[in-house]
Amino acid sequence: MSDVTVPTSQRAPETPSTSPARWVRENLFSSVSNAIQTVFFSLVLLGLLRWVLGQIFSEEANWTSVATNMRLLFTYNYPTEQFVRIWFAAGALFLAVGASFAAWNLNPVVTVRRIAVALAGTGAVSVVVGLITPEATPSSIRTGFLVVGVALVVLAVLVTRLIPNADRRQIPFLGLLIGVAVVVCGVLWFFPFGDYGFADGAPTAESGTIDSSTSLPVTVMFLIMIATYVAGRALARRIDLGWLRRTMIGWWVIGPAFIVFLVLRDPEFDWGYVLAVDVPMGAAFAVGGAVLLYALSKPSRSDLARVIGALLVALALFHWVAAFFGWYPMLQKARFSFALIAVAALLAPTFAGERSARLRFAGGWFGFMVLFHWLLTGINTPSTLDIAAPPFLGGFVLTVSIAYYVMLASFPLGVLLSLARTSKMPIFRVLSTTYIEVVRGVPLITVLFFFSIMLPLFLPGGMGISDLAAVFAGYTVFSAAYMAENIRGGLQSVRRGQYEAADALGLTTVQRTAFIVLPQALRVSIPNLVGQAIATFKETSLIAIVGGFDILRIANSTIPNQPDFLGQKRPALFFISVVYFIVAYSMSRASRNLEERLEAGQAR
Amino acid sequence: MSIADQALTEEMASRRDMIVCRGVKKWFGDFQALAGVDVTVKDREVMVVLGPSGSGKSTLIRCINRLEVHQEGEIIVDGVEMTNDMRNIEKIRSEVGMVFQQFNLFPHLTVLDNITLAPIWVRKRARVEAEAKAMELLERVGIPEQAGKFPGQLSGGQQQRVAIARSLAMEPKIMLFDEPTSALDPEMISEVLDVMKDLARGGMTMMVVTHEMGFAREVADRLVFMESGDVVEVGTPEHFFTNPTEERTKLFLSQIL
Repeated sequence: MSDVTVPTSQRAPETPSTSPARWVRENLFSSVSNAIQTVFFSLVLLGLLRWVLGQIFSEEANWTSVATNMRLLFTYNYPTEQFVRIWFAAGALFLAVGASFAAWNLNPVVTVRRIAVALAGTGAVSVVVGLITPEATPSSIRTGFLVVGVALVVLAVLVTRLIPNADRRQIPFLGLLIGVAVVVCGVLWFFPFGDYGFADGAPTAESGTIDSSTSLPVTVMFLIMIATYVAGRALARRIDLGWLRRTMIGWWVIGPAFIVFLVLRDPEFDWGYVLAVDVPMGAAFAVGGAVLLYALSKPSRSDLARVIGALLVALALFHWVAAFFGWYPMLQKARFSFALIAVAALLAPTFAGERSARLRFAGGWFGFMVLFHWLLTGINTPSTLDIAAPPFLGGFVLTVSIAYYVMLASFPLGVLLSLARTSKMPIFRVLSTTYIEVVRGVPLITVLFFFSIMLPLFLPGGMGISDLAAVFAGYTVFSAAYMAENIRGGLQSVRRGQYEAADALGLTTVQRTAFIVLPQALRVSIPNLVGQAIATFKETSLIAIVGGFDILRIANSTIPNQPDFLGQKRPALFFISVVYFIVAYSMSRASRNLEERLEAGQAR
Repeated sequence: MSIADQALTEEMASRRDMIVCRGVKKWFGDFQALAGVDVTVKDREVMVVLGPSGSGKSTLIRCINRLEVHQEGEIIVDGVEMTNDMRNIEKIRSEVGMVFQQFNLFPHLTVLDNITLAPIWVRKRARVEAEAKAMELLERVGIPEQAGKFPGQLSGGQQQRVAIARSLAMEPKIMLFDEPTSALDPEMISEVLDVMKDLARGGMTMMVVTHEMGFAREVADRLVFMESGDVVEVGTPEHFFTNPTEERTKLFLSQIL
């Protein structure tokens, strides 16, 4: 299951470039009809562009509304004096990005020529924009576009002329990283952003330059990312890459939860209660479970493990029923933990083996339980944040958090649903098909309303669910149904011979599914799964309807209500469109990249 | 002497029964694929199954490790009867190796991982131990240098040899071969047959469905000729290729030789 990277030297060289004039002649004006089509559609395009530009630049003094409200758009009403938490979270994220790039040896290479072409293209578009913007646009903007455009084109020409062998010469990934960092930090340090505050619950805004409390942390974050990348590359040469990758996967699954609930939310622990109740319970499940699993994962005890697993499942189900009818009180944490240990016990025969394998299995459970209980304790503790209006998350941070966790949670659920739908057992098939078809037949808004308004009514007394959690559950339920259908397509593409070979080797059904069928099915489903992830990311904007303040709602209704920017929607909406686009496009590029790497690994 | 035990030498008859099929019947819908097959394979015997396409020879060996479910009769593998009990099935499958016409290697795993997967997860071997064993087997089938590659990067003959190594890694008592050379280019057939001959010389109990008459003549202890889901004739290679008794056998051999 190791990844394979194609060494740079083995990549096919880029086809030699033709001159731009020749390219234009061969592709755009090769015949009379081609020339007519080229001219016609160019005019249509230019007209459209002019109209769009007219829309964007029609208002005077427009972009300050965006520049001033950057903090609002990204973090909503997060208290300014607590902003160090945001920077800590972002720093941890950048660190993980840098380390992951290093761990997976992600090293996309770009030739000098490609960069020059991109520069020239951007420059040309910029010149065209400068030429065709409607008269209403302030002349400074028009000249700005023209000057920047010409400068970019000149730069591109200089680069190709001055750097020999631009076709072949490659810029290392580190160079690209530094380039991006310089551009972003440069904009932050020298572009005039405004400052935004929250006074007496009402938003206030004042124009001006962003102060060093923002530009400095961002610069530091980029430095962290570059440093971890360099350090990670150096480390990867010395230690086992598999270990580094497993650590990073673990971080990506559980790290963001800690950032959101422990760093950003800053729970106010009642240490007496934590030490008296939470710690003993967590320790009991962690230690007891580990001992149980170590005992059950002995190969000769697989029958016993199945019996005990089944009994624990029954017990866990009984606890949930009891919770629903309120028969006896029990902390939710315990109910969750019972369910988890039951599943782990059922899986024990699959992961059975010799001593070291059993120790790993039991140790994995121990670590997981410690993290799980710590996280649940943090979630259940009230926040210390002094925020005018809950929830504590808002803006782009909310959008990204919800999207990330919906993807993470709906993926395993989708896998289970798709497996159930293709199962031989009719009861699983019927249940899963019903779920998928019902959810897919209902609009997302309905699901969200159901979870935020109806679900609390159905819950038994004493059981509450926060708004954010309810919305999150709704998204997950919805997204899982679509994920399941995408994965089912992948499952159907796995050939029968693969099942037969796995059976003939004596693998159990669980092992066959986990090691043979799913890895192949998921590879095939990557494009569809990423498509679904992008859809989920964009659909988070519906959270506004059930009360959340995501980036779209802020752009659409909060900013236009500020006294300074009354009714100004277009700049902010245009800005967030660009933000959405950058994220969605990065995801789709990343999935293309992933597919290519996997294909290179197992060329048929 | 029953039809299943025909043509056994006295020494061979005294050996243990590894595979016993008695009156095995199998239908695909209305089509009867096996019409009461009786076959016995002795310990360390190489049995080659011949027959025209559609005669049920593949179905028969696929029934022996439960890739197909027989509906009547009994199949006993190394003393364990094949029933619906999943534990019996898993036990039999881990004792019986199978090599397929289409190789069926796992395309997402390296050659080494293909071979070590089952020993680690079914036999519960330590990874280091399983990998050492895998390298030994790759050595034996002559391609140790391919261990780190993916199946898609190998030739057909190499893939089939990896598939054989993968089955052998489970240390099976019996090996089933389902037309192992039919999907190969002609120049690669001999490299696979050589590995199989080597295996036969090492005393492996084998049941081979093949059209390679040279292999059958050289290696087989007994041949079975099947037609329309029935065993028509059982005999030694000498008997088969010099004076077969049955008309249908003669006709088949005249077409194929």
